[in-house]
Amino acid sequence: MKPRWAVFLLLIAAIVVLALLPMLVNNYWLRIATGALMWAGLACSWNMLGGYAGYINFGHSAFFGLGAYVTALLMGDRLAWPFFATLPAGIVVTALFAIIIGAPTLRLRGAYFAIATWAFAEVLIQFASVMDFTGGIGGIGLPPFLDERFFYFAMFGAAALTYLITWALFERSRFGLKVKALRDHEPAAEAIGINTSLVKLQTFVLSAVTASVFGAIFAYWVTFINPKSVFGGDITDQMVVMVLLGGLGSLWGPALGGVALFVVNRIIWMYWGDTAFYIAILGAAIVLVVLFLPNGIAGMFSRRVAKSGAVLDKAVGNLVGGGPGRPS
Amino acid sequence: MSAAEGKTAGTGEPILVVRELHCHFGGIKAVNGVSLDVGRREIAGLIGPNGSGKSTLFNLISGTVTPDRGQIRFDGHEIGGRKAHAIARLGLARTFQIPAMFDNMSVTENLLAAAAEGHWQGARERAADTLALLKLEHVADNRASDLSGGQQKLLEFGRVVMRQASLILLDEVTAGVHPNIRKIIVEAIARLRERGTTVLVIEHDMEMVRNVCDRIIVMDAGRVVATGPFNNIVRNSEVMQTYLGRPQ
Repeated sequence: MKPRWAVFLLLIAAIVVLALLPMLVNNYWLRIATGALMWAGLACSWNMLGGYAGYINFGHSAFFGLGAYVTALLMGDRLAWPFFATLPAGIVVTALFAIIIGAPTLRLRGAYFAIATWAFAEVLIQFASVMDFTGGIGGIGLPPFLDERFFYFAMFGAAALTYLITWALFERSRFGLKVKALRDHEPAAEAIGINTSLVKLQTFVLSAVTASVFGAIFAYWVTFINPKSVFGGDITDQMVVMVLLGGLGSLWGPALGGVALFVVNRIIWMYWGDTAFYIAILGAAIVLVVLFLPNGIAGMFSRRVAKSGAVLDKAVGNLVGGGPGRPS
Repeated sequence: MSAAEGKTAGTGEPILVVRELHCHFGGIKAVNGVSLDVGRREIAGLIGPNGSGKSTLFNLISGTVTPDRGQIRFDGHEIGGRKAHAIARLGLARTFQIPAMFDNMSVTENLLAAAAEGHWQGARERAADTLALLKLEHVADNRASDLSGGQQKLLEFGRVVMRQASLILLDEVTAGVHPNIRKIIVEAIARLRERGTTVLVIEHDMEMVRNVCDRIIVMDAGRVVATGPFNNIVRNSEVMQTYLGRPQ
């Protein structure tokens, strides 16, 4: 069987299993599956800019949080919007923020861009912590809706759409060629007519609004959010490690890394409770991936990038200011 | 037909007009009042010792570097200070002195990327033709970073071919490559001329300059010091001193 057909059949099988999952498992495992789908989608959204364009964004949680807060505020007692009406509102607000933040920061590269985006997320944490309308540091509640199947299918739909868009735009269209070209050599990309500033901004906005949709579903799912729970830097950190583990700049890598790390997270939680042990595992995972699995899990199955780790080199090299980003 | 056999003088209004162009980096005057014309369908050679400002001039014309002052007119458009992508879209394409690869993309994707902005229709067929023209079919699916130095030069040249540009700037495109690859590039330049493309080429290989170029422009210390046909240039004492040094 040709590899392409094998991948296609595997994909169909995965979709069928995921679609039937609510009938196969209890609510506890369904919640874990819902979380895994959310992280797979979030990691993919981070990978759009970090993996395909080579811009390491350490403030991606800002957009997850914006989506969450817009939904929480609009669904509150005063406005009482239906959940699905809040999604486009969150997308519009996030897109506006992404344009305002992206236009100046995307002129920066490497560590400067990473620091600027991290600072943006920190600003939003502080803002949400001191303003009354966001509920301050105490947070904000949403009307409870206790149907686990609804949230599972919402996350499943959002994740499926995220991967479909990523595949169509970054793997199968000339837009993807432009994005990857600017990642690999920005002056050369400009020299073949690519408006790199515009393409970077488009990628940044797409990446941001995708994260905001997951933030919106998350807020409705957990029924209560506060600044730390949706803007916190550890949310971005997890996305970064998931993508590195799965395979930077690959389509399926973020899904593999997202599911793997989230399941590890839940297993640790089951046995040891809410412990900092998970953070230690994240740190160790970064070191091990950089040293021994530079193309991530996905790279082990890819013929073209199997031995090089070049995308990681490019991204980390950019981050630390040129040169190889990884010991040879 | 070789490029030399196909030589014709540039005709009509020049496609590229540069006037009193200046660019300095700190205290170094990299380009110091350059003025030159390149005629349509001409193949002009830009020669000069290392550090004479040739590559900086290419960077200024292509928009990679912004000039301090001076004029650059390309195909009737004033392009001095414009963004590189805007200049490229007017029909100017270039190669870099050190091959600028899209390392993590395949050879075919590198070619398709060059057509992604403005020339997409029929891009896959043109990419196949370009691979055949440059004899790169056997590495079409390889990553660009896995190519040899000579193949990378060919691939970058291929991206320029894919742009269907009216003016091409080639920066030492045959430097350090095997004679077989040089032959492929020279033949490809001849094909470009047949399509009506103008070429400005930086080159240190005098044999290639003599065989390919209609006219030579000599630069030294950021200035144009001589211009004319190859045979006149090699008899020019100032050019000889530029290359060989002044007698003590």
